[in-house]
Amino acid sequence: MELLWILVKILIVFGVVMLHVAYATYFERKVIGHMQVRMGPMRVGPHGLLQPIADGIKLFFKEDVIPTPADKQVFYAAPLICLISAVSSLAVIPFFEGFAIANINIGLLYIFALSSLASYGVVLSGWSSNSKYAFLGGLRSSAQVISYEIAMGLSLVGVMMMAGSLNLTDIVHAQMSSSFKIYLIPQFLGFFVFVVAMLAETNRTPFDLPEAETELVAGYFTEYSGMRFALFFLAEYIGMIIMSCIGVICFLGGWSGPFHVPGLPFFWFVIKVYLFIFFYYWVRATLPRYRYDQLMALGWKVLIPLALFNIVLTGTIKSISG
Amino acid sequence: MKIKYKTKKGLVERILLLEILKGLALTLRRMFSKSVTVQYPKEKKKLFPGFRGRHALIRDPASGTARCVACMRCATVCPSRCISIRYTKDENTGARKVTSYEIEALRCIYCGYCEEVCPVNAIVLTEEYEYSDYVREPFHFDMEGLLHNWDQFLAKNKIDPKTYINPFLRPRGASEGELPAGKRISVPSDWTFEGQVVWRDGRAVPAKEAVRL
Repeated sequence: MELLWILVKILIVFGVVMLHVAYATYFERKVIGHMQVRMGPMRVGPHGLLQPIADGIKLFFKEDVIPTPADKQVFYAAPLICLISAVSSLAVIPFFEGFAIANINIGLLYIFALSSLASYGVVLSGWSSNSKYAFLGGLRSSAQVISYEIAMGLSLVGVMMMAGSLNLTDIVHAQMSSSFKIYLIPQFLGFFVFVVAMLAETNRTPFDLPEAETELVAGYFTEYSGMRFALFFLAEYIGMIIMSCIGVICFLGGWSGPFHVPGLPFFWFVIKVYLFIFFYYWVRATLPRYRYDQLMALGWKVLIPLALFNIVLTGTIKSISG
Repeated sequence: MKIKYKTKKGLVERILLLEILKGLALTLRRMFSKSVTVQYPKEKKKLFPGFRGRHALIRDPASGTARCVACMRCATVCPSRCISIRYTKDENTGARKVTSYEIEALRCIYCGYCEEVCPVNAIVLTEEYEYSDYVREPFHFDMEGLLHNWDQFLAKNKIDPKTYINPFLRPRGASEGELPAGKRISVPSDWTFEGQVVWRDGRAVPAKEAVRL
């Protein structure tokens, strides 16, 4: 019975997230379009509302091209590594009070572990494609993800210290009982580092060097087509949603909100996640791409010292206030 | 010129990332502005008079055929030499009669010299621009085709041939004396030299002044 309930939960979460991914692509194109004084998709359905479905069908029926010099086994495995590690991160996210597929005590650590695993998919796809663009994309991605993983981990240490737990549900509870209600206010430094590292972790503009269109065609997935390309795409968008969820849980108070919305326990959680996703698009429409050395300099010389300073500050205040 | 790669920034600007915030504010404002897209087959842009589109020979209401007198000015002035005209000469009067008038529209560069130079306003570039095709033949216009183009243009845009004025048929600002008889058609008042506006350095300048300067 327990197992059945878990399976039902998995299905619900997976289905809802997949729908969100489909329409995240639609809203990305709409938001960026309007920010560039265009309209975005308008033809498929009213205001282009069926565009994600048309895209999905197109990708599904496209020819699956595999380059002759590619390392076949690794080439097949790479998108799956990306997707599986992204999807399994969803398991520990508490969407509302008492609703997490697995309420484990090392939630945050688990998510860090899986997001590092996802970069293996990227690196392996770049390596196995046997193409210079994919290879360069994979190399850049490995360097970028390793540098920003550190900043991201350190930025959340402050939250862990304040909450005294790695369990995501406990973190939300600790925030609800804290004096500011959300950790954004005492942890604003951590939040800043987290947001920048979050953009870099998910390979989004202005840190989209691994898939820099202007230099590397499409970066690590240059040689992928059809459904295999779609897997990378799905992984990227699920990664965005995961990072938004982590941001909401650790800094914005999770599912708690200014007032209770009856019947919709996930209301505030979803609203906050949408804000984060909108922020991703907003930044993409605004900022140009960083140069490689600027990216590294920002990661190592600004974000990591900032995050370390934040840890020291949090520790000092915590020990003084007791 | 020395290029300054790093502009000096104050401490406040550096810490609060003011420039990035300004950029974000700009994109957010633009998101709520009206988009400039024209959804082409559904909506179409308004064409201004003098748009140079598909060629046509104006059908003279009096004779029912083209006004062309085979003076060969259009064929002479044409930079891409896409107009070819053949004519016969009457032995007694010396009057020319056009036997064939052909335009190779694929070679045409749509400069409008032909319609500008025509003394009798026989040829015109209409405001019709949707005439793409998959083969080349439809773009070789003979006399019948050109007259047909004119009829189609009038019918499609519901234009009365008596009131239709194209800036090339009666150049704006030109005085009566400068024009050949065929081009001296009556025009609305804003067509005159005084009413004309020329743009220079992004500012509107009355045409009279622009000429003097």
